[in-house]
Order: sequence, then C-alpha cells, then structure tokens
Amino acid sequence: MNDWMIVLLLLSTPGLPLLLAIPALHCRLRWPVPIALLPAISLLFVPGDFATELPWVLLGSAGMGIDTVSRWWLLMSVTIWAVSATFLHRTTEPVADNRLTTLFLLTLAGQLGTVLATNLVSFFAYMTLMGYAFVGLLLIDGNDKARSAGRCYLVLLIIADIALFEALLIAGGLTDDLGFATVAHVISQSSSSTFYLSMVVTGFALKAGFWPLQVWLPLAYSPSRPAVALLLWVVPVATGLLGMVRWIPLGAIVAPMLGTLLLGIGAAGIFYALLLGLMRAQWKQLPLYAAILATGVFAMGLGIGMVDPAIWDQYGGDSAPVFVTTVGLGFAAIIAGLAWLERKNGSPSELTTVAGTVAWFEYWPQAVIRWAGRTGFDTLPGLRAAWLAKWARLLQTDRWQKVFDAGEYFIQHWPFAVTLSLLLGMLSVVLLLLDVMSVL
Amino acid sequence: MNLTTLLPLMLVASSLVPGVIIFFLDEKQVVARISLNMAGALLKLALAGVMLWGVVHGYHYEIRLPLLPGIDLFLRAGPLAMLFVTLSATLWLVTTVYAIGYLEDSPHRSRFFGFFSLCVTATAGLALAGNLLTFLLFYELLTLATYPLIVHRGTEVARLAGRNYLIYTVGGGALLLLATVWLYTLTGTLEFTARGFLSGLDAVHHPALIVIFVLFIAGLGVKAALLPFHGWLPQAMVAPAPVSALLHAVAVVKAGAFGIVRVVYDVFGIEFAADLGLTLPLALLASATIIYGSVRALFQDDLKRRLAFSTVSQVSYIALGVAVVGPIATIGGLVHLVHQGIQKVTLFFCAGNLAETLGIHKVSEMNGVARRMPWTMTAFTIGAFGMIGVPPLTGFISKWYLGMGALDAGQNWVIFILAGSSLLNAAYFLPIVYAAWFKPPPPAWPHERSFGRFETAWALLLPPIVTAALTVSLGLLASSPISPLEWARFIASREFSP
Repeated sequence: MNDWMIVLLLLSTPGLPLLLAIPALHCRLRWPVPIALLPAISLLFVPGDFATELPWVLLGSAGMGIDTVSRWWLLMSVTIWAVSATFLHRTTEPVADNRLTTLFLLTLAGQLGTVLATNLVSFFAYMTLMGYAFVGLLLIDGNDKARSAGRCYLVLLIIADIALFEALLIAGGLTDDLGFATVAHVISQSSSSTFYLSMVVTGFALKAGFWPLQVWLPLAYSPSRPAVALLLWVVPVATGLLGMVRWIPLGAIVAPMLGTLLLGIGAAGIFYALLLGLMRAQWKQLPLYAAILATGVFAMGLGIGMVDPAIWDQYGGDSAPVFVTTVGLGFAAIIAGLAWLERKNGSPSELTTVAGTVAWFEYWPQAVIRWAGRTGFDTLPGLRAAWLAKWARLLQTDRWQKVFDAGEYFIQHWPFAVTLSLLLGMLSVVLLLLDVMSVL
Repeated sequence: MNLTTLLPLMLVASSLVPGVIIFFLDEKQVVARISLNMAGALLKLALAGVMLWGVVHGYHYEIRLPLLPGIDLFLRAGPLAMLFVTLSATLWLVTTVYAIGYLEDSPHRSRFFGFFSLCVTATAGLALAGNLLTFLLFYELLTLATYPLIVHRGTEVARLAGRNYLIYTVGGGALLLLATVWLYTLTGTLEFTARGFLSGLDAVHHPALIVIFVLFIAGLGVKAALLPFHGWLPQAMVAPAPVSALLHAVAVVKAGAFGIVRVVYDVFGIEFAADLGLTLPLALLASATIIYGSVRALFQDDLKRRLAFSTVSQVSYIALGVAVVGPIATIGGLVHLVHQGIQKVTLFFCAGNLAETLGIHKVSEMNGVARRMPWTMTAFTIGAFGMIGVPPLTGFISKWYLGMGALDAGQNWVIFILAGSSLLNAAYFLPIVYAAWFKPPPPAWPHERSFGRFETAWALLLPPIVTAALTVSLGLLASSPISPLEWARFIASREFSP
C-alpha cells in the first residue's frame, strides 16, 4: 500500500462519516454507518506506523497517523461502532427524523479523528466535534433522564474544553510543534508543567467521567437504547483516557501530588462502583458500574505512573491500550448480549424499565440545577444554572438585572449627558494623573 | 493617472456611483435596482481581489487629491486597509443578496439601497484612508449614511433608536475631530505611518498625547461599542436584519474597531503607546466590555438584542488584541476583525430568516424551530459555535492567537478573560441551539409564511449558508496561504519587524 493510499485512508476515516452526516446523503443509503466505517476498517490492515502532516489545516501543525496505541483504540472503536450501528438502524427504520443518524455519524467522525490525531490541536478539534454531537445523541431521545444526562454532560464538557484550551495554550507557548511527542518532551522539561498537567487531568477527568464526576453516566445509560448505551465507553470514557495517555508525558515526568490525587480518585471510583454495583438490584446496570470500576483502575494506573514514571515505562505504556480495548469490547459484548436477549424474550417494557437507577447520593448535580432554577436562572434548559449556582447568592437575577437595566436605561435615554459626563470624568482622571506624575 | 492611482478611487466609486443612481430610480424599477446593486457589489469584490493580489506582489496603490493646504484626501491600499476592504466587499455582496430578498415587498427600497451603498462607500473609504483627515471624513459619512437605515421602518421606536445613534456617533465624531486637530497642531502631519509618527515628539508633549489618545479611544469607542459607549447598539436592533448585519459585521462597529487599530499602530505606534502606559488601560477597558457584553447577552430574550450584546463583547476582542502588545496578539485581534464579521453576519441573517419566515423574534419562541428551518439553524449553530470558539471554526483561531499573544506578552490575566468569555458565550448561545434542535416545536408559529419547496426564500437562505461555510472553511484551512490568518500574520510581521 503506497503512502498516498494511506493518507487517503487517514483523511477519509473521519472524513467519510462527516460527509455522510449530511442528511441528503445518508438518507439515500441503507447502511450509512457501516459504509462510513470502511476506511477505518481498511486502516487496521496498514502495516507499521504512519503519520502525515496537514500544513494548511488549523494552526499549521495538524496531523494524523496510526501507531500501536491508535491501532488498539481503532480496533475497539470499529468493533463497537459496527455493533452499535446494527441497533441504530433497527431503531431508526420506522423513524423519519434523520437527526439521530446525523448525530451518530458526527460523533463517529469525531471519535475516529481523536484516535488518529497526532497532535494536540487535531485531537482537541475532533474531540470537540465528538463531544457536542454525543450530547445531541443523549438529548435527542426525548426521555427526561437522557435529557438530564445530556445537559449535565454538556456543562462538564464546556468546562473541560476550557481547561484543555488553557493547557493547549501553555503547550503552544512552549513549542510551535504541538505533536504529542514534542509536547511530551517540552512539558517534561518545563516549569509550567504543573499547571499544564492540572488542566489536562481536570479536562479529561471531566470528559471521561472520573469519580466523582461520573454522575451523568448512570442517567445516560439506558439499556432500552443499546445504540447509544454501547457508545458510553468508546466515546466519552475511552476518548478521555486516550487524551490522558496522549497529552500527559507519562513515563517522562514526575508529578507526585497529582499522581497521588489520581490514585485517590481511582480508589474512590473503584470503591464507589463496587458499592453501587452490589447495591443495585437491577443487574442490567452492572456493565455501567463495571465501566466506572475500570475507569478507576485506569486512574490508579495513571496515578502510579505519575508518581513513579519507571513503572509506567515498564508496564503502563503497553498495557493501557490493551486494557481499554479489552474493557470496551467486554462492555460492548454485555450490552449487545442484553439487548439481544431482550429482543429474543420479546417483553421490552418489562426489561427496559430500570427503577431506581440513581442512588440518593448521586442526585446532587440535579439538585443543584433545580435549586438554581428556582432562584431564577433557569429560564432556559438549566444550562446556566449549574454554572451560576455557585454564585447564586451574589448573582440573584432579579437584583442584578435591575441594576443592569437601570444602567442601560440611563445610557440609552441620556446618551448626551452620559457621554459628556464620562468624558469629563475621564479627562479629570487623566489630568489628575498627570498632576500626580508631575509632582512625583 | 494610471491604474495604481485609479484603483483605490474605483474601489470607492464602485458602490458610490450605483448608490447615487439608485436614489433616482422609481420603486417599480426592481430589475434596474437589483442589477445596479449586484454589479456594484461584484465590481467592488473584483477590484478588492485585484488590489489584494497587487499588494501581495509589492504594488503600491495610492492617490492624493488636495483638500486643505498641506492636507490631501489620501487613499492608500496597504495590507491593513486591504484586510478590511476585502472583508467589507465580501460581506457587502452577500448582504446585498440578502437585503434584496428581505425587502422584496417593502416600501422605500430605492432610499434603502441608496444609503446602503453609501454606507459601504464610506467603509471602503475609511479602510483606504491614508491619513486621519480622510479617515475622519469617511467616518462621518458612515454615520450619516447609516442613520436613515436605522430609522428605515419609520416607527417611533426606530426614530428613537436613530436619534440616540446620531447623538452617540456625532458626539464620538466630535471627539475624534478634536483629537485630530489637536494632534495636527502638535505634529503638522496626520499621515498614517507604519509604527506611528509620534515617538519622535518631545517628551514635553507626552501628557497632551495621553489626553489625545483618550479622546481618540472615546471617539472611536462609540462606534466600536466599547463600554460605556455601547448604549446605541442594542437599541439599533429595531433596524431591518440586513442593516443589523451591516452595523455589526461590515461597517459601523468594525469602523470603530478598525479606527482603534489605526490609531494605535499607525498614529501612536504600538511600542510608543505602550511606553506612554496607554495600552494596559485599553486592554482593561476591552476586557471589561467583553465580560459585560456577555453577561448582558445572557439575560436577553429578544434574539437580536442578545446578538447585539454579543457584538459589544466580541468586537472588544479586537481592541484587546491591539492592546496586548505583541505580534501574536496583534494577529489575534486583526484576524478577529474578519472572523467576528463572518460569524456575526451569519447569526443576523438567521435571526432575520426566523423573523421573516415564522415571525420569531424571541429566544423563548425558538423551541423546535430547527425542524422547520434546518438549514437556517445549521448556519446559526455554526455561527454560535464559532462565537464560543469551538475548533475548527474561525472563533477558535482568533481566541488561540489572543491567548498565545497574552502569554507571549506576559499578560496572563487575559487568558482568564478569554476563558470567562467563552463560558459566557456558551451560556447564552447553547440554550438557543438546544431549544431549536431538541425541544418540541409549538403547534403553530407566530406568523408563518410559506416559500414553496425551500424553508424560506432562496435569497434569504443562501447568504447564511455561504457565510456559515466560510466560518468552517476559514477556520479549518486557517493556515492556507490565502486565509485571513496569513494576511494578519503578514500585517503583524510588518508592524513588529525589527
């Protein structure tokens, strides 16, 4: 296979799903998602590592490629997406609304793009596409629980993106080449590494749903929507973990505080998943808690790697992709098996209704959103509420809005007076400053 | 006269001549009016393309016409001028198509399109202005040409908005005139010069220069909607959607922002302005405006008012990029001049489509509207995500360079302003996107009109699709040789070359 062919495959792996996301195109195809997966499947058979630069794209340092890590992730992704697609097409057959397929393909494009990205900017761009499209997938169901999960995930996503953007800026300030290898090298040598690592860990922990930020996962997990449930591992969680592996110079940097924190978070996540898993009467929730448990194990692995880079070098680098792939495939197998059994038994209402899926101590983000809504922020879907709730007392809408409105009213109805007084004020301040300067 | 002197004049005349002719056309001469509008817009774009090519290849396009003793009406096509000229020519073309569709059955179309053309003439003139006096003349012409567009509907609210606009902008113009005259008395020249022409002045004049700078920023800050001179902008939302697009993306606020860029770079010189301690207060003012505009936008239910406060916030990124001294932040500020224009024009086109097709004016009326108007809302979603700074859209490129520039200049606090602004942008744009795509539509829309097989008239649908496509492509291919980013890099390299 020559280089041009591989470049074409690399570009079309996220490019074809992106193209097919256009409703006018995919509505003409019977199996748009499997077709969209074909370049990714072909790429699995490309021997060795390969990377290409895209100098015109984004900031001039975008790139795509395939290596050992991405090959494992790609294998898992292709398998899970293919299985998920079979459920998608079954459920959408009678539905005329093609938004679901569009969002599915956009999420696919973003997720495959992150797997093949070779630098921070491409990864970030694809991950953003994937994240927002996946929020759409959660929201589109129309079911209250899924909408709630979508909103909650959206809030976390935005905060995560801002944290990662900050990390990106720090990396950009250190090197023009934002390739993973170069960034790993410069960050490991830099004095700004602590802030960078904090932002990266925060961003990806939010995306991957590390404990205690996994609250939206139980809400999003609905066995009655296997096409979306299957994606819960491969899209938010596995991509978040891939981000950690790619963005953090594991094996080259010692960060004992952050490492210890990750160890603690991982241990708490494992304990939480075990506790909840055992408490659950509903056995269909078990795959979800197994996923949370696996995330905890991964967090502990990362923590150990940051405390002692030699351990990561010896074990982590090779085992992390295998671990994520194995868990992902196991997760997919259980969910697909359950969905298949459900169909076979033919009593969907009994099997798909999961009572009490949220334990009492998992209600806190919802409670915050509801409480903030009552303070007056929630004129729209509760998005602002979560962000502003913390400052709710300060930002009492009525009070501040009255202050702002009064200011605007004055500005709009007395423009000339305002302009003159402001100018006089500014001139006075300037003259005062000049006077002070001359005295000094 | 040869081509190099004629081209700047032709560029200005390409909208002036059709505009003047259109004033004399009868309302019923629709074909003639549309032909003149389109011919003028296409010619302007073609001329801008030719001049852009020429500037890249080292040609100098300039013309001097004696105006006052010692002062000429001076037009010159430098790299910075061409950035703004190309933006206004491109967006004028799409806005003209949109305006033709929008005002299809409205009265006073000849008056509207006449002033519309004059408005773009003024924008081209001030972009090409080679000295402060020429800039001032076109700046005032812009004020006068825009006023009839704001009051076009003739309602009481429109007249009030127009009156306030006039008071603000004439006041701003007066300050600008005062600053210009004062500067002339000190220097004897008003000609824009790369890296400024004031650094050689005796230190005894420095206090006066500080006051002149304050007057300039206050005068230009009115049009750039800097806090607290932004009051006219949300009120001007009563104007028809193409005028809003023009005010926010092509002409007025951009003229103010462009003026700030000119004053800081080509009058004071960025390094001299920093030495006088002027850039930090400007950066603080811009930051305050960014946050204030976003917070105000958060509470607006009227869609156009929300977009107006968003403009207040977003345009200040340009001033911020200028004030954070350094080549990278300069690139961010300059490229945002283009990016914000394209994104904002998309959003206003979409707001116009919603109003014209379904009678939707408020955010609370937008539930499920994407199912009825998917193309319009796709364009809106792209514009909104661009404003938030989501990659790979244009807004991400601007924010990246502003952030990198701040780090480069050691002004790390700017990063937090950018982060806070992005968060607020998401807070006021995403609920709209959510409601439009994921909430169930109402049983009936406020005032629905049918347009056959399309969701709305093609002349209303095409412009937002084109500008949304530009938002994606200029962001995705930001590093290609013909992108606005490359042009901004070229300008910055000239400003900061040793």
